[in-house]
Amino acid sequence: MQQRPFSNKRPLLQLRSGRVAGLLSGLLSGFLLGLLLVLVATIASAAPQPVAICDDETFLRRIALDTVGRQPTPAEIDSFLADPSENKRVDAIDGFLADPDWARTWARYFRDVILYRRSDDRAIFMAQPLEAMLNDRLAKGVSWAAIAREFITATGVPAEHGETAIIMAQMGETADIAAEVSRVFLGIQIQCAQCHDHFTDHWKRKEFHAFAAFFPRIEIQRSSGMGAERFEVVSYDAAPRRSKKMSDNPRRGDLEHAMPDLEDPSEPGQVMKPQFFINNKKLPLGIKDAERRRAVAGWITTADNPWFSRAIINRIWTELVGAGFYEGIDDIGPDRTPQSPHMLDDLSQQFIASNYDMRSLFRAILTTQIYQRESRSRSSPQRAGFAANCPQRLRSDQLFKQILSAIGVDEAQIRKDSSAQTAATPATAAKNKKSGKQQINVPRVLFTQVFGYDPSLPREEIVGSIPQALLLMNSQPLSVAFDGDRQSTTLGRLLHNEEDDRTVVKDLYLRALARHPTPGEQAACLEHVHATGDREEAFEDVFWALLNSAEFVHRK
Amino acid sequence: MQDCITRRQLLRWIPSGGLAAASIGWGDTVALHAADLRKHGKACILLWMQGGPSQFETFSPLEGHKNGGGTKAISTNVPGMRFAEHWPALAKIGNRLAVVRSMTSKEGSHPRASYLLHTGYLPNPSARHPTLGSIVASQLAAQLAGETPDLPPVVRIGARGRNDSGAGILGMQWDPFELRDPTQNPANTKPMVAADRHLLRLDLMERLEENFASQAPQEAADHKSLYRRATRMIMSSDMQTFDLKSEPQSVQQEYGEGAFAASCLLARRLIESGVSFVEVVMNGWDTHQDNFTQVEKLAGQVDRPFAALVRDLETRGMLDNTLVIWMGEFGRTPQINPRGGRDHFPRSFNALLAGGGVKGGQIIGRTDKAGVEVTDRPVTVPDLFATFCKSMSIDPTIENMAPSGRPIKLVDGGKAVTELFNG
Repeated sequence: MQQRPFSNKRPLLQLRSGRVAGLLSGLLSGFLLGLLLVLVATIASAAPQPVAICDDETFLRRIALDTVGRQPTPAEIDSFLADPSENKRVDAIDGFLADPDWARTWARYFRDVILYRRSDDRAIFMAQPLEAMLNDRLAKGVSWAAIAREFITATGVPAEHGETAIIMAQMGETADIAAEVSRVFLGIQIQCAQCHDHFTDHWKRKEFHAFAAFFPRIEIQRSSGMGAERFEVVSYDAAPRRSKKMSDNPRRGDLEHAMPDLEDPSEPGQVMKPQFFINNKKLPLGIKDAERRRAVAGWITTADNPWFSRAIINRIWTELVGAGFYEGIDDIGPDRTPQSPHMLDDLSQQFIASNYDMRSLFRAILTTQIYQRESRSRSSPQRAGFAANCPQRLRSDQLFKQILSAIGVDEAQIRKDSSAQTAATPATAAKNKKSGKQQINVPRVLFTQVFGYDPSLPREEIVGSIPQALLLMNSQPLSVAFDGDRQSTTLGRLLHNEEDDRTVVKDLYLRALARHPTPGEQAACLEHVHATGDREEAFEDVFWALLNSAEFVHRK
Repeated sequence: MQDCITRRQLLRWIPSGGLAAASIGWGDTVALHAADLRKHGKACILLWMQGGPSQFETFSPLEGHKNGGGTKAISTNVPGMRFAEHWPALAKIGNRLAVVRSMTSKEGSHPRASYLLHTGYLPNPSARHPTLGSIVASQLAAQLAGETPDLPPVVRIGARGRNDSGAGILGMQWDPFELRDPTQNPANTKPMVAADRHLLRLDLMERLEENFASQAPQEAADHKSLYRRATRMIMSSDMQTFDLKSEPQSVQQEYGEGAFAASCLLARRLIESGVSFVEVVMNGWDTHQDNFTQVEKLAGQVDRPFAALVRDLETRGMLDNTLVIWMGEFGRTPQINPRGGRDHFPRSFNALLAGGGVKGGQIIGRTDKAGVEVTDRPVTVPDLFATFCKSMSIDPTIENMAPSGRPIKLVDGGKAVTELFNG
């Protein structure tokens, strides 16, 4: 039988440090320490040599995209390169983490984590309130534990309570809410045990359904009307409930969760007492919704539960370094073996000591050598053992911002232009706003429909699509931006104001790729200008080539 | 100068193309033989009735029962096979159609049922299951060993808002290519610059990519291959597929008027150009009120183009290899509500199949006289998906890996309705 990795009374982290201390003071410590060193050396020699620390320009673009979701400006690049301070990378990290765009960028990220798993497309209206809520909490430095508790215990009108998003995304389905709470906050895919004991992990069917039993009394009330305003998430503690007919689940509407009878799904199934599979603490039947959810939210976010901190550390580390301690970004747990477990434990201890402070977690990761190494292809063996960082495909929000800044266009302006096009009268605009439709034709939202992806998927599955390539290489709005003959475009102004072709090439590189061109690239561009004959046309091609490059859509 | 490098570049960028002319313009013939090859390969067209079509006003009329709501039935060209009165064109080709009257499921909410009938699975946050189109296209591509069409392998026409389902765990290259309006070219396919200049740009892009490629060769190579495919698509002579006006007047008339008719015609043209799967979406079937006049109107838009499509495929020798599916996410209640409507009813509903080796002129399963319970030959959603697989010679037990490392079969159990097929 498999051993539970930690019990409530003796957390794993304390256990480990206690054991190490005991060994060191023991008589056999020298021998064992020697053995340990040999083991470490063996493991180290199997891993590839770490690659070099990346250069300053690569670092600055990487850190800017990873924190504030945009490229550094040419001015930021110049001043960073000119800064002689040895501490300048740490200073830059602190500067970006203090920027309000750090909270905005990661609010959008977690919005996607939750909403890409929606079982019902209507829940897309949660995007705005969810992003607003997360942005507020991250900006204020609210702890990850407190944020998690808000999601788990949420009630209220979705438009004002973004924290109802997990419930809304699963349309109040008990089992699906339980699955998502476990996936997002524990990194444990316990829902695989919904219909059968887990194939690869030790979770039992009963454990899943006992966990689901914390969530059967959540009800989404619907009223007539459109959009976010027609819903409200409420506790429902008085039997019997209505509205069973729209669900496939014959038990929906019951006050207690029952594990379906696999032999005969039409049977009522076995009523489950709420019990948390990590610490095995339980509640009796009949407890009110608010109380059950408060209890499980507390048990999930206690320092005694290592999976709560490991889940978020593994997620953020995976995003920043390109590979996680565990292979799946949200698939960890006691049956999986992490890479570099000591580093993971150290980060966990720091994170808990900081009271789950997200900025501190980012700072801890961003200041490591591992983060600051050069990148190697995702498929490259050179990346094993965190020996290199990894090129990450930009998320839709990052790419959108980057395109606008490269072509020198303001988001507020194109938003105004497009809403003027789509909403003919103020009355329709007001109506759209009320129904939540105003989001539909916002350029950023349209862009996301083409470039968005679920950030929890393995990154090797996220490949470019034909509509993406077509939009970047062959769309009307972008081709206007490439027009070098017009004074209204950034390129046009640059060509008009700058006679030196070398400077134009340099400026375009800084704008598009946030770095200076190499001598080879400089020569290739000038050669193209020379061969083409038409200066405007040639530089349109150069700018096009940079904005359509793989380098542009990745952070190196 | 540019003329002489154009041909070389085009060959480099579009390696499988056989060039017809030295001077290349957009839309010039970049004739590929893949299309010819695939013309004889398997394909599938899904006519998706969004909202849940009433079985009683379509292909399971209830004659002589109050639940029938007074909808009259008409004979088809197959003795004993009767359709609701709104389907005269299909009634003439009943011998090409197989009706499954015993579909049964438990899912009565639109998004969940829609996902179920598109993927064969209920939604589950641990994995996005691939939609039928993505399953079919990826499997048929494997059968064809490398021959890919110039156009995207899966096309979905007329869906509103966001997709019900995409390629999911199969990866984005199998996502349906969305087309809102069948009479317009897809977005961003009208060339912004001359063809030779586009190719020059691609060349320049590749030269400037060397720095990035030195550290990230895989990402750079994938990117290049994607740009090749996108370029190949918009430069392909197959882009003419989207030009419905080039179809002979007589054929256009056969399909009739309206967006659904245009979509059906486009679907046939796409399949002819080597596309593996086309989904045509017809909205408006959620007839909670005024069911009878609404369905009559909807049928008026679907009947003729649907029949024309089946006949057209047959005339061109494509019907045997092209499975045509008509279905929605569930059926509607036998009882008529006070607003003259029918509500959601997954317990028993219907679907219609033609082509793809399906023997026409048969009815599978039945319900009781009130149209409530399936009393003979129940067909579950996995059974139906297993049937689709059989038609296209796809092994339904093939497994794909979910991100969690859990294998997911193409079809979750289910047995093909073998009596639908010849021999």
